[in-house]
This record gives sequence, C-alpha cells and structure tokens, in this order.
Amino acid sequence: MAKTIMVVDDSASLRQVVSIALKGAGFDVIEGCDGKDALSKITGQKIHLIISDVNMPNMDGITFVKEVKKMANYKFTPIIMLTTESQEAKKQEGQAAGAKAWVVKPFQPAQMLAAVSKLILP
Amino acid sequence: MSMDQALQTYIEESRGLLEEMESILLRLETEPQDEDTVNAMFRAAHTIKGSAGLFGLDAIVSFTHVVENVLDKVRDGELLVNDALVELLLKCCDHIGLLVTIVAEAGQTLDAEQEATGEALAAALKSMIGGAGVLDATMPAVHEARLDASGGGQLEGDNWHLSLIFGRDVLKTGMDPTSFIRYLSTIGDIVSLVTDDSALPGLSELDPESCYLTFEIEFKSEADKQTIEAVFEFVQDDIKLRILPPPSHLAAFIDRIEHASGNTDMLGQLLIEAGILTSHELDGALSAQEDMMGQDSGTKLPIGEVLVKEGVVHKEIVDVALEKQRQIRDTKAQEAKFVRVSAEKLDELINLVGELVIAGAGASLQAQRSGDVALHESTSIVSGLVEEIRDGALKLRMVEIGETFNRFQRVVRDVSRELGKEIGLEISGAETELDKTVVEKIGDPLMHLVRNAMDHGIESAEARVAAGKAAKGTLRLNAYHDSGSIVIEVADDGGGLKKERILKKAAERGIISPGQSLSDSEIYNLIFEAGFSTADQVTNLSGRGVGMDVVKRNIQALRGTVDIESAEGRGTTVRIRLPLTLAIIDGFLVGVGKSAFVVPLDMVLECIELPETDRRAADTRNYVNLRGEVLPFVRLRDQFEVNAAAGKRENIVVVQYGGQKAGFVVDELMGEFQTVIKPLGNVFRHLRGISGSTILGTGEVALILDVPALVKLAVAREGQMTEKAA
Amino acid sequence: MHINVQQENGVCRLQMEGELTIYHGQEIRDGLIDHLAANNEIEVDLGGVSEMDTAGFQLLLAAKREGTRLGKVVRFVSHSQAALELIDLYNMAAQFGDPLLIPARP
Repeated sequence: MAKTIMVVDDSASLRQVVSIALKGAGFDVIEGCDGKDALSKITGQKIHLIISDVNMPNMDGITFVKEVKKMANYKFTPIIMLTTESQEAKKQEGQAAGAKAWVVKPFQPAQMLAAVSKLILP
Repeated sequence: MSMDQALQTYIEESRGLLEEMESILLRLETEPQDEDTVNAMFRAAHTIKGSAGLFGLDAIVSFTHVVENVLDKVRDGELLVNDALVELLLKCCDHIGLLVTIVAEAGQTLDAEQEATGEALAAALKSMIGGAGVLDATMPAVHEARLDASGGGQLEGDNWHLSLIFGRDVLKTGMDPTSFIRYLSTIGDIVSLVTDDSALPGLSELDPESCYLTFEIEFKSEADKQTIEAVFEFVQDDIKLRILPPPSHLAAFIDRIEHASGNTDMLGQLLIEAGILTSHELDGALSAQEDMMGQDSGTKLPIGEVLVKEGVVHKEIVDVALEKQRQIRDTKAQEAKFVRVSAEKLDELINLVGELVIAGAGASLQAQRSGDVALHESTSIVSGLVEEIRDGALKLRMVEIGETFNRFQRVVRDVSRELGKEIGLEISGAETELDKTVVEKIGDPLMHLVRNAMDHGIESAEARVAAGKAAKGTLRLNAYHDSGSIVIEVADDGGGLKKERILKKAAERGIISPGQSLSDSEIYNLIFEAGFSTADQVTNLSGRGVGMDVVKRNIQALRGTVDIESAEGRGTTVRIRLPLTLAIIDGFLVGVGKSAFVVPLDMVLECIELPETDRRAADTRNYVNLRGEVLPFVRLRDQFEVNAAAGKRENIVVVQYGGQKAGFVVDELMGEFQTVIKPLGNVFRHLRGISGSTILGTGEVALILDVPALVKLAVAREGQMTEKAA
Repeated sequence: MHINVQQENGVCRLQMEGELTIYHGQEIRDGLIDHLAANNEIEVDLGGVSEMDTAGFQLLLAAKREGTRLGKVVRFVSHSQAALELIDLYNMAAQFGDPLLIPARP
C-alpha cells in the first residue's frame, strides 16, 4: 500500500508540482493550503511524511508542526520544512519544534524527492 | 494532473498574488504600514519565487528574489515605506507580471527594452539593500566532486567503512535508520552491514521509542565523503557518524595533504581542505577532546590523537598531516622573521623622518641662538637620536641589489645568442644593499651598459681566439659599498676602448678641438658625450637613439657619477657611484640676500672669501685666481636673479664635479646642514641649476643647487669670455 | 495494530495484524511481556504485518532474547514482505534464528 505524504503550502502550483513528483515516485498525496487547512484534513488519515512551508496565512508552519507533534497519531511523523537561505532562524525554530528535515526554496522536484527518500520509501 | 496544468495553475496563482501585492502597495500609500499587510506582501513574492523554482523559471526566480529581499527588509523595519519605494515596487509587480505572461505565452521572450527595464529595476532594488542578498538567487548548484580511484576502477574490498551510532531519541523525531540505510544504497552498494544490538536491554527495560542499534557498514561508492555525510544530514544531531575512506583513497589523501595550500597550519583545517575530514566531524572531535580532558586530569589530547582514537581518520593520514603541519609551521616561522610592509607606508615613514630631521635642525638652530647651554645640550642629544632614526628608517628601505643583477642572467643569455657570441655572466656583491628607490631607477642605465658591453665590448669568438683569449667572453656585475655610496661595476673582458678612435671621432663631432691634450680618463669619458657613438656598425641592439650620454644623465639624476676605466685588449669597466639614498643629503647652506641655497656637501672643496680686488674685477670677468689656478665662478645672485644688494663681503664656495672646479659666489656661509630633498614640481622642472628644494628649520624654503649643471655653465662661460678676450 | 492470541497444544500463537511501528511500541511491548510470562512457547505470526520500523524490529529482537534468557521458545513465522525487508536490510536473519523464506528480490 502506497504511503501517504501531506503537502502543506499556500501556493497551489507548488503543491501541484510536488504532488506530481511524489505521485510519480509512488506516494499518495494529501494537500493542505495552510496550517489550519492541513490540520482539518489530517485527522483520520494515515500520514507517513509531512512537507510544510514556514510562512503561510492563517496558521504558519511552525505552529502547524507544534500542533502535529501534539497529536498521538502523528507525533513520530517525519516533517520536511520548506525554508529559504535567509530563514536560518526559522529553520532552527522548525527543528526545535520537531521538523528535523528541510528543503531550501526554491528547489527542483528532484531535490524534493531526494529529501523524501532519505526519510521514507513509497 | 499534468505539469502543463500545474503551470497553468501557477500562472493564475501568480497573477492573483500580483494583484494582491498591487492593492497592498496602493493601500500602503495612504495608510500607515502595519505588520500583517507587509507580511502578506512578502509572502506573495515568496510564493511566486518558490513555485517558479519548481518549474525552472529562473528569470522569475532571480528577479523576484531581489524583490523578496527588499520586502524582507521592510518587514524587519530596516527599510521604511515611502512613495519612492511603493512606486518602485509597483513597477516590479508589472515586471513580474510581464515575466509570467511570457511563461503563459510559450515561445515569447523579453525584448531588449523590457530586459533593460528588468535590469534597471533589479539594480534599483539592490541599491536599497546595499547589493546584498543576490547570491542565493539561483538554484543551488549540485556539487559533484568525485575522488578518482587511483589506478582505475575500485579494488575488491576497497570500501568505505561507515559506522552509524544513532542517538537514543532518533526514532522519536520520526527518523528511522532504515530509511537512511536504504537511501545510502542509491549512491553506492552496501557490501555488508552488521547490526550491533548489544545495547538492546531486556524487554521490560526497553523503551519502545528509543533506538538501541548501531551499524557497521562496508560501503562501495564513488561518492565523496561530503556526499556520504550529507545522507545523514537530517539526523546530524542524533547520530555519531564515522566515515573512513577506502584504503585506495589513502594514497590520494596523502597526496592531497602533501600538496595542501599552506593557508592553514591547523591540523583539522588541513584535513578538511584535503577532503578527509568534514567540518561536522571536526566539531565532534573538538568536543570529544574537551570531554577527554575532563577524564585525563586536565591535559588536552592532541586533536590528531583524538581523531584516530575516535576512529574518524586513519593514523597513517594523521601522521602525514602532522608532518605537513610541521612543514607549514616551519615556513611560517621563517616568514615570521620578516614583516611585510607596503612600500607606501615605508615612504610615508621616511617622509616623516625627513620632516623630523628638518624640525630637529630648526630646534638646534633656535637652541644655538638662545645661548641656553642646557637647551643646546638637550637638542644635540635629540639630534643624535634623530640621526639614528633617520639611518634606521632608511635602512628599512634598503634592498639587496642581487635581484636586479639576476635579471641580467636572462638578458645576457638572450643577447649573446642574438649576437652569436658566447658570453657568461658573473655576479658578485649581490648582497650589497641600497635604497629601493635607487634600485628602481638604476635598472635602465644598467641594461644599457650591459647591452653595450656585450655588443661593443666583447669581441666575436674568432677575434678572441685570435687574440689568445678564451672564446667565451665574460661580463661581470659587481657591487660594493664605499664611503657612503654604493659602487656598481659593469665590466667586460673584451677589446677595451681604443683611444685613437675615440679621439678621432670626438674631433669629427666637434666635441674636442684638434690637438687638445687629454688624460686617458678624460678620453674614455668622451664616450658619455652627447652624440658620440664608436660602433663601426650599428646593430639592432644599440643605435636606438639612446647613447651613453643618456646613461650618464640618468645616473646624474640620481646624484650619482659614472666613470670608465679601460685597458686596450683586456677590457672595460664602467663604474657607477650612487648615493645610498635619494631622500636625504648632507648639504652646505649658503645665503644670497635673503635666499638660502644648499650645495651638496660631498662636492664642496673649500670656501674662501672673495678678495676685494677680485670683487671689483668680477664685474668684467667671472673667474678668480685660486692659488695660481683659474677658477671660473657663477654669481648665484645673478644666476637666480636675487633682488638684493650685495653684502659687505662675498664668499666663494669652491666645488668640484667631474674633474672640474668652479666657484659659487654667495653672501653668507651658513654651515653644514642635513636636509631632506623634496622633488621640484613640474613647473620648475626646466629651471636650470636647481635639482630640488628643501625646507629649513625656520620654515623657509632653500633650493638645492644642481652642481654638475652649474659647473658646466661656469666653465662654458669662462671659455667664451676667454675667447672673446683673445 | 491488532494481536490475535490463540492457544494451541501449549503453544501461544500471536498473530500480528497491521503496523509493527513506534506508534504502537508500548502496547506491543506490554503484550509481549505478558505472553512471555504466561507461556513457555510463543509463535509470532508476522504474516499480517503491513509495516515494520526499527522500533518494531527492536521489540521482536528483544522478545526473542528475553525468551532465550528465560529458557522459553520465541519463534517468528510467516514473515510478511515488510518484516522480511527490514530483517534483510539489517542483515539479522541469523539472529532471528528461524527458517526464513527469503524471496528472490523483485
């Protein structure tokens, strides 16, 4: 059974491209357009990996990660933060919150797949 | 869903975001900025950039990146929103919109004007943030430094050895060792893997969320150490990672250490530079070193030993690195004996010392006049010290002439080949020191003399053999110090100067009058006269319009003299005598009316009072009888048009230059005076009889007399007068 | 995760269904401790294991060692693909000490 990845970003096109890449690699994908949206969609789902942006409206990535880590069903779910070079502080904050992996924006689909495959297999 | 569809989403999304940005910008013009709106604008730009990267739309990425940087500064309060910024950002939105449109209408490109607009906007943005933040605009480059396996192809059993000791909490962070080990097999082959479960406790003590396993892996891969380490970057806080390179890499590593740049003498940095150690590993070893210190009663283990003990680096490699470190330190220690100082700073210092000398002289003068003995004593001590400082400072600028001499090795080799002569160069006195500024200026005259000696001095091999000499000619460059001057000799063992020919030519050119009787030395020195050339045939080496007269002029400009010595059939020696420094001279201060002049002391022979009889006669003739000798003189008052009546008494300073004596008529003799030469400005360059200026202790300017020129003038005038009288 | 327990000729058969992962670590551990205390021979059927991670793997390994320590038998049978993959990756087939059917790699 294919593993499921949740992609959280406020850019629909980014979600789409990442989805295409992940699906191509054999994963199932659930999309969320911000932290709040993602939290509402996560319940009841088996999620193997979360990819989340930091800067989003409604609920930012750091808050989202902290929320996820509180949930019994997802507290051990690996999380990839989407950071930028200029956001070293955010990256540290994300890691402290429990998102140990990161991918630096802008990235190409192959870079995202490499990061994902260090964490889970389809 | 396809990429094409995703791209359509991107285009729509970007347009939406741009509209949002625009409306925020327009609102900002009227409303005071609040954090949320600025953040929303930043996010919009960020999203446009981030997604553009996914589609490989580099133009959008790099432009939006700069916009994002500016917005970041606005968000942080480092940049204030004003009309100009809003205006600029609105234009940027338009430009991004344009870039997006071009994506939408595939196949279209920016026209030159649009491109220029983009560049101008980017430049304007960059200027707002000081040009920073444009470095990471492009896609991160993929580094693929591979280590070539020596001898082609990897040997069986020639594997990396990886030791993975995971932290207890790694599983809690969602990271599973299995995924990293699986990923490892995408960059190489796991030849063998041993799972060490010895730390696994009994079932009842076991925390199911902790990790107790460690792994030893034999890994076959072409990847470099950084790449392998990067596999584990997401668990870097929760792993003790050891990566030992394959044995075949040892030789390559050792080679790299041996060829290290020498930029660092730190063992760890040396190993990192050679690609053996990663900075992460070094950090680990350094903290291990601290830990060990606690156990072993305060002594710090050398980092090399720590690295070996921790199994990070092979002992063999550490040994080589230690040896290299010793070499680098030796070199550094050598270098440490010298301090590199820019010539400019040195010149500045010497200038200041010059001012000090002048000021010191002024103080001495005042002290002397005051008649205060104690003050006079103090100033004389100061003067002594100033003199030492002056000598010390000048010594700093002394360089060995050897380097200049050595340049001629190549010249002699090339020219002798060109001329078809066999000539060897012998250098002696290379360690002789002289002022750097002199060295810089002596190169050209030396070059001319060397070429001349090879061209005209040394005979062809046949002529030499016929004359019973060795076929190979010898050119000698020699230097030595002689009473405050440096003497440079250019000597050849050639045919020597032929007096008859020189005389004949000099007469032909009108340099001498026929029948004039001259000493040998005077005859030889004729070759330094303007327009003189003894060469029977003009080769392409000489005959460049630069004669020996130019050489002489150049040397004189350095306040030096040139002298020639020759023996027919045995060779010629040209001897250049130069002051050790150009900056300071010992002068003899004289006064005419209210003006002061300096005569270089080394040219002063004596001073005599101008007898009353001669003073009167001097109106009609400009020579005096000096102990039965005719002494032509120059009245400085007339020469430099000093508008002051002659004093009651006048004196003559007798100077000698180039074997000729002359006198300068002055009012006052003010004594010896050490002075700093200041070059004349361009305006005065053509002033005859003046070579420079200096400032007196009183603050007045004194002109330094160009003795060679004035002597020549005096002698010439005297000659004319005599002729007229006759 | 669900464990079916069957007693059969003095053998306790534990049929594991679902994810043998860190999320269910405590529950699995406690179950294993209880069954080991109550039985002399345990056969763990891994056929229903859909997913196994390092945490799950450690539990199986610890149970096996605990059995040996207590002089009891702990046996793993009909390993699922997920279980086999992990045991193979960790090169621990020998430690598990049971006949493993290692399928040819796809």
